[in-house]
Amino acid sequence: MSDFDRRDFLKLIGVGAGAAATSGCSDPVEKLIPYVVQPEEITPGLPVMYASTCQECAAGCGFHVRTREGRPIKLEGNPEHPVNRGALCARGQSSIGRTYHPDRYRSPQRRGADGSFAPVGWDEATAELAAKLGAARGKTVVLGGATGPTLSGLIDRWLAALGGGERVVYEPFAHEALAAASESVFGVASRPIFDLSDSDFVIDFGADSLGTWLSPVEHARQIMEARDASSGSAATGARLVSVGPRLDETASSADEWLPAKPGTEGILALGIARVAFDAARQRGGELGGDAEALQQVLAPFDAAAVATASGVEAHTIRRLGGAMLEAKRPAALPPGVALTSRRATATAAAVLILNAVVGAVGKTVKIPDASQASGRVGSFRDVVKLIDAMKSGDVSVLVIHDSNPVYSLPADSGFAEALEKVAFVVSTASLPDETAVRAHLILPDHTPLESWGDAAPRPGVRSLVQPTLRPIFDTRALGDTLLDTARAMGESVAAQLPAGSFRGVLEAAWSDTDWRAALARGGLFAGAALDTPVPVGAGITRLEFKEPQLEGDGAFVLLPVPSPLLGDGRGANLPWLQETPDPITKIAWQSWAEISSQAAQTLGVRAGDVVAIQTTYGSIEVPVWPRGGIRDDVVAVAIGQGHTVGRYASLANDGVPGAARGVRVSAALPALTDESGGRAWLAARARLTATGRHQRLPFTQGTDNKRGRQLGESISLLALASGARPFEANEPAFGPAAAAQADAHAAAREGGAHGEHAGAHAGPHEVRRAYDASADSDANEPYRWGMTIDVDKCTGCSACVVACYIENNLSVVGEAGVLRSRQMSWLRIERFVGDGYPQLETGRTGPQNHEVLGNVDVRNSPMLCQQCGAAPCEPVCPVLATYHTAQGLNGMIYNRCIGTRYCANNCPYKVRRFNWFDYQIEGWPDPWPLMLNPDVTVRGQGVMEKCTFCIQRIQAARLDAKGQERAVADGEIRTACQQTCPTGAIVFGNLKDGASRARTQVVQNDARAYHALHVLNTRPAITYLAKIQREEGHEA
Amino acid sequence: MPTLVGIFEQPLLVAQLAEKLRGRGFSDLEVYSPVPSHELDYAVDDRPSRVRLFTLIGGVLGCITGYALTLWMANDWQIMLGGKPFSSIPPYTIIAFELTILFGGVLTVIGLFAVGKLPRFKLDAAYSARFSAEDFGLVVRCAERDVAEIDTLMREHHATEVNLVEP
Amino acid sequence: MTPPPADTAAAMIRPAPLRKDSKVNRDLLRVMEGFSFGWFTLLNVSVAFMLAAGGVWIYQVYKGLGIAGYAHPVFWGAYIVTFVFWVGIAHAGTLISAILYLFRAKWRNAINRGAEAMTVFAVLTAAQFLGIHVGRIWKSYFILPYPNQRALWVNFKSPLLWDTFAISTYATISILFLYVGLVPDLAIARDRATGWRKALYSVLSLGWQGTSKQWKAHNRTVLHLSGLATPLVLSVHSVVSWDFAMSIVPGWHATIFAPYFVAGAIFSGFAMVLTMMIPVRRIFGLEAYITDYHFENMSRFLLLTSIIVGYAYAAEYFMAWYSGVEAEQTAFWLRAFGPYWISTWVMILCNAVAPQILWFKKVRTHVPTLFVLSVIINIGMWFERYVIIIGGLSREYDPAVWGIYTPSWAELIIVAGSFGFFCHFFLLFLKLFPVVAIAEVKEIEIHAKEHPGEHWDHAHTYGEIH
Repeated sequence: MSDFDRRDFLKLIGVGAGAAATSGCSDPVEKLIPYVVQPEEITPGLPVMYASTCQECAAGCGFHVRTREGRPIKLEGNPEHPVNRGALCARGQSSIGRTYHPDRYRSPQRRGADGSFAPVGWDEATAELAAKLGAARGKTVVLGGATGPTLSGLIDRWLAALGGGERVVYEPFAHEALAAASESVFGVASRPIFDLSDSDFVIDFGADSLGTWLSPVEHARQIMEARDASSGSAATGARLVSVGPRLDETASSADEWLPAKPGTEGILALGIARVAFDAARQRGGELGGDAEALQQVLAPFDAAAVATASGVEAHTIRRLGGAMLEAKRPAALPPGVALTSRRATATAAAVLILNAVVGAVGKTVKIPDASQASGRVGSFRDVVKLIDAMKSGDVSVLVIHDSNPVYSLPADSGFAEALEKVAFVVSTASLPDETAVRAHLILPDHTPLESWGDAAPRPGVRSLVQPTLRPIFDTRALGDTLLDTARAMGESVAAQLPAGSFRGVLEAAWSDTDWRAALARGGLFAGAALDTPVPVGAGITRLEFKEPQLEGDGAFVLLPVPSPLLGDGRGANLPWLQETPDPITKIAWQSWAEISSQAAQTLGVRAGDVVAIQTTYGSIEVPVWPRGGIRDDVVAVAIGQGHTVGRYASLANDGVPGAARGVRVSAALPALTDESGGRAWLAARARLTATGRHQRLPFTQGTDNKRGRQLGESISLLALASGARPFEANEPAFGPAAAAQADAHAAAREGGAHGEHAGAHAGPHEVRRAYDASADSDANEPYRWGMTIDVDKCTGCSACVVACYIENNLSVVGEAGVLRSRQMSWLRIERFVGDGYPQLETGRTGPQNHEVLGNVDVRNSPMLCQQCGAAPCEPVCPVLATYHTAQGLNGMIYNRCIGTRYCANNCPYKVRRFNWFDYQIEGWPDPWPLMLNPDVTVRGQGVMEKCTFCIQRIQAARLDAKGQERAVADGEIRTACQQTCPTGAIVFGNLKDGASRARTQVVQNDARAYHALHVLNTRPAITYLAKIQREEGHEA
Repeated sequence: MPTLVGIFEQPLLVAQLAEKLRGRGFSDLEVYSPVPSHELDYAVDDRPSRVRLFTLIGGVLGCITGYALTLWMANDWQIMLGGKPFSSIPPYTIIAFELTILFGGVLTVIGLFAVGKLPRFKLDAAYSARFSAEDFGLVVRCAERDVAEIDTLMREHHATEVNLVEP
Repeated sequence: MTPPPADTAAAMIRPAPLRKDSKVNRDLLRVMEGFSFGWFTLLNVSVAFMLAAGGVWIYQVYKGLGIAGYAHPVFWGAYIVTFVFWVGIAHAGTLISAILYLFRAKWRNAINRGAEAMTVFAVLTAAQFLGIHVGRIWKSYFILPYPNQRALWVNFKSPLLWDTFAISTYATISILFLYVGLVPDLAIARDRATGWRKALYSVLSLGWQGTSKQWKAHNRTVLHLSGLATPLVLSVHSVVSWDFAMSIVPGWHATIFAPYFVAGAIFSGFAMVLTMMIPVRRIFGLEAYITDYHFENMSRFLLLTSIIVGYAYAAEYFMAWYSGVEAEQTAFWLRAFGPYWISTWVMILCNAVAPQILWFKKVRTHVPTLFVLSVIINIGMWFERYVIIIGGLSREYDPAVWGIYTPSWAELIIVAGSFGFFCHFFLLFLKLFPVVAIAEVKEIEIHAKEHPGEHWDHAHTYGEIH
């Protein structure tokens, strides 16, 4: 089988090379500058890394493109890049798929009268565009997402050369309010930078900073480092408080969750600010700026009043105010997209005021002055203006790039209709989307891996994008398209623009730097000194700090939440992001509406029952997902699904082309703006009605009740501080005891806010490590590979899951597959709430019924093959297809497997996956197979597969070490999951080496160490470190 | 050499007659019987059947094979499995047991063939379908001069018929 | 009387041809004569099932096991359930033939042939499922310890390999047992048949003449085969049960499994014998040979084994509760009240409760009731395996990956096909071989003539013949 695969792979490489050779790339062939080592020739079998920049969101993370034989096969975070420091999120990991996507436009397309597209040559296409532009006479608009400074500059120059025209920047998640708020609070119109490193008290006002905010990878790293128990005593580690109506990724990892009424975040911030302000004043300390203005603004917000408005107890507000003031480096994070109301600016301003009052400005909150402000932030208002212009026929040529407004704009913005009125619409999308299919002409852009470009995510950081393979198809970089069009329009226009290709423009823009060095490193990473505190100005008095009113009536607030995986929807056509379950609900491939279990009962609906969500602006029908962790008056629907174009984004691959997968929440949202003209997402109330229909939801975790078993353990600060050695678990009892626990649980469920979780950490908590795993390899072997996973650091972001998919050529099984729980993930993240309770229930209980409002006892526990020393799977295989390697790994021989599946039955961790169909060899449409990792066997139908700690990486490192006649050094091998983890929760290493981090981690955190299901004595090679309960109730 | 066939209805008489004949030195006897009958088993030949020897050999052979096979294969290429010893007797005992039965059984049947002179391709001249109905037959091969005496004996023992099968 | 004159000797003739055959031969050979319309219909139906299943199976090999209903973490499904079911069925034959033979329970002679045939066909049916359920049938020869230059052998620690050996041994032995028993009867058939049957039986009967030597060897062989088959039959289902008991799945990892499975096997086996033999007796009018007395004895066995099985169910639950192991408790609780509660209660009602009516002699001797009951038991026993296998796997140690399995259309067709496979063999057997052991029945009869009165059960067994 392996032979076949290798040949198959090489064959495909050949095809790919052919395609590349025939592709009409206008650039001359040149050597790319590899990272660090520069081999004279690419050595077959050895990867070459190129530094580039991620284009999936505005964070601008840097990554290395791992290429083999001229094909990018994986993206890995650039350790030198200041934003992500070597990590990469799930979206970044899967962005490699854009290049190999089967949907890609193979060449320019022109839409015929019947609406169908036919390929055209580039010359013809550019000529046509040139003609239209000539006729347009400046009534030309370029609409697109945020691009790098160089490209933006070029577009502006291009428009100028055309003789007028407008560039409208449109990002669905533009966070306009931040800059506006900063302007009114500090008088500087630039988006503040939040640097949480070494912070010691962070309040997240619904930003979801760990999941979906400005720069999730960076913030997750900073917060986890700041709270890292091993970097000192856990008690002194940072505290994270999360405010928000829903138990989101951040709240799940927070130490305290305040489910405040949505929209009252600003008021709450001011309440806390006032407490701090008064205290500071009494002791005559720094006030953070214009005292009178502050006094005037804060006056009405005393704890009691705020408590009634927000639903957060007054004593909590006082406590937080005190804590924030005491903290050395406090930070308050303004709301993210989900809570961007029509008063978003005021809300953000309120949070900034809090930051100023507690002296965070200049420390954790940095205000760049206008000169340093990163490129023009588009405003939703501009788009609305543009739409009006389009309707009135003032736009004759519309060039749309890097964005999908037809999908992401709200229904009542009327963009789709307006688009009809535009004489000539050009799209440069490389993948078809709702907007592209409405264009008259499609000039497909390169994918980021094929193109040149740059990014300036923040002052002092300039990041480069460089191509890492010859374009697979007949596409052309946007920059070059513009230049060529200009040339096609004649000398007069061309003369005003630089000669040569866009790459030349880029090099010119970087001429002040060492180009080669920059390419090798991935950009210029200079720290910008921004630590001068900026005082609060009198501008704040002009703001209105009131609770935003919501349009329409209905019992529910419609909360559109950005999906951590699909983002604003641009990830929806990447199969891995669809297949990876949502970190919170563990649902894949579908949309769902989160409502509280209480609300579900009153509505009389169960998980999967379809409800109609009705707002003044529209109605969407979506299956409900009842959970404990959401306010009763909120219905949350994730943004990102509901596409009708794209084989994975829509139902095309499931045989229903043109049908939407899931729902598009924007269809029920208004085109309203906040004070600053930013889009208001939290703007409508909704009425829910059961439709009586039911839809099976592909969720991958049946229950969040771990029944007290040794999975996803936690330990309270009390127990940890007492330093007591962990002791025996109280095995859950049958009958009365269980019933008692159940009652406790029920009580907690009703008890709301700070109810003790059922059976959770009563007294010092049990976690334990049964034995030392280092023994379980051949006595003569210097290695016993193992891992340490810190549950306390895991945010559930699932970057590791996607990394594993791509590193190990895992198959994607689609919605139908997931409905039969046949997903192939070797690594999954299990989400348990509390210790669970062993009560023996009858009938069906909601999957996430064990969450409790205001309780943050959530354990995200990555589960992968434990490489057991006494592996139950090994002895039962009749043909020795799985066995214990000399280095203690649990090997899997695909060629030998006959598929009895006994191993999987006998694996207590259920980490083995079976190829129910021929997912891979015939299953992948071209050109997917080009991105296969050649080091990993492609599995055929009927064989078992599983994680082996990225054995291919281990082997590579061992060969390397052998060549140099040395032992493999610690940290030399990094598994795909470890490599990409933003918080460094996963540490791989040699257990026989006492100094390896995998071992020292355990030693340092001995009291937290445990093995999954240790009662089975499988002697796992993975040691987990229990989550720490930092809730107030548990502080020593 | 003339062959006399006596046809009887009761195995007991056949058995008695056979005894008597052997007493008188007529050793070349054969008995046809429609059913197994303990009386007749030892009428013409009182040694126990040698089939049991085959069974014994087969069983012992199987047992040895079972253990040898498993132990050798497990150690020919030693592969670590769930931290268990390479030569773990308990599971191998199961294989040994099954092979004991298998070999034992097969050799027993081979024994039947060998001892019962099976298969044979031609039926005796003396054999008749009556012997697969309800009649018992006693066949005596004797010298010409003894025909009359044996005939008489047979009739004395209530043979329903006595026939002479020409050689 | 006086000796005949010497000169008459020459006038003597060969044995007179058979004038009147024995009643037993005539009655029992008649079963094989003629192919009735009903028989053909049944045969066609079962062959149709067979072919349908075959088609689906080929499709499955081509497409992949995905067309079955498997859902992580339930990696074994209806195929293994049905495998265990048929292996269970296969036990009655050997039990009746071998064990009752050793106990000299002569009443077995009327039913053992049919039971042995069933055994062989059931084993063959079961064996197929081992192949149907693996992911790569085309590589399944890996499971045999064949010599290869890589010195890559098989894993004798794996219960699946024990299975391979146990099942193949069992198949071989039961085929030998059936055939050895058949030889004398085939000789009877040979002596009476004409045409192709004559040829067939002449070959198969190996030239058997029923000489005392042959009978002696034959008795010895049957005795030894019984001696070997008795431990074998116990071991086979023990080994099958260890496929589960040797793993750590909650609800599987139990020491009670071997005896529990063996009892269950005998239980289902006897039920199946009744299901097959009652119609056969009715259709071919064999009331004279297979009497209510046989059925009553068998229903006694049913009652006994049903009680054992019921006890095993109870013991399982008691252990789960008393051990205090949470995973076990949960697994068993959810069996009874979780997603698979229906199967569980079907199992308990059919196997432990319903057979209790056999306490009444009226029921034991009322054949139609027995027939219905035997069918109920067959259903119950299929569900028993379903509950054990699916129920166990779907609720394991890691609650995050608890899953639900439901059989797919493909599995159901193939399972149905296995019944067709089994039945068509049995139907052919009816027409080609004596379904009642003629010689052994005759033996009892003649024995009775020999020593009138002195006989144990034959009085009411064969009283009605004379």
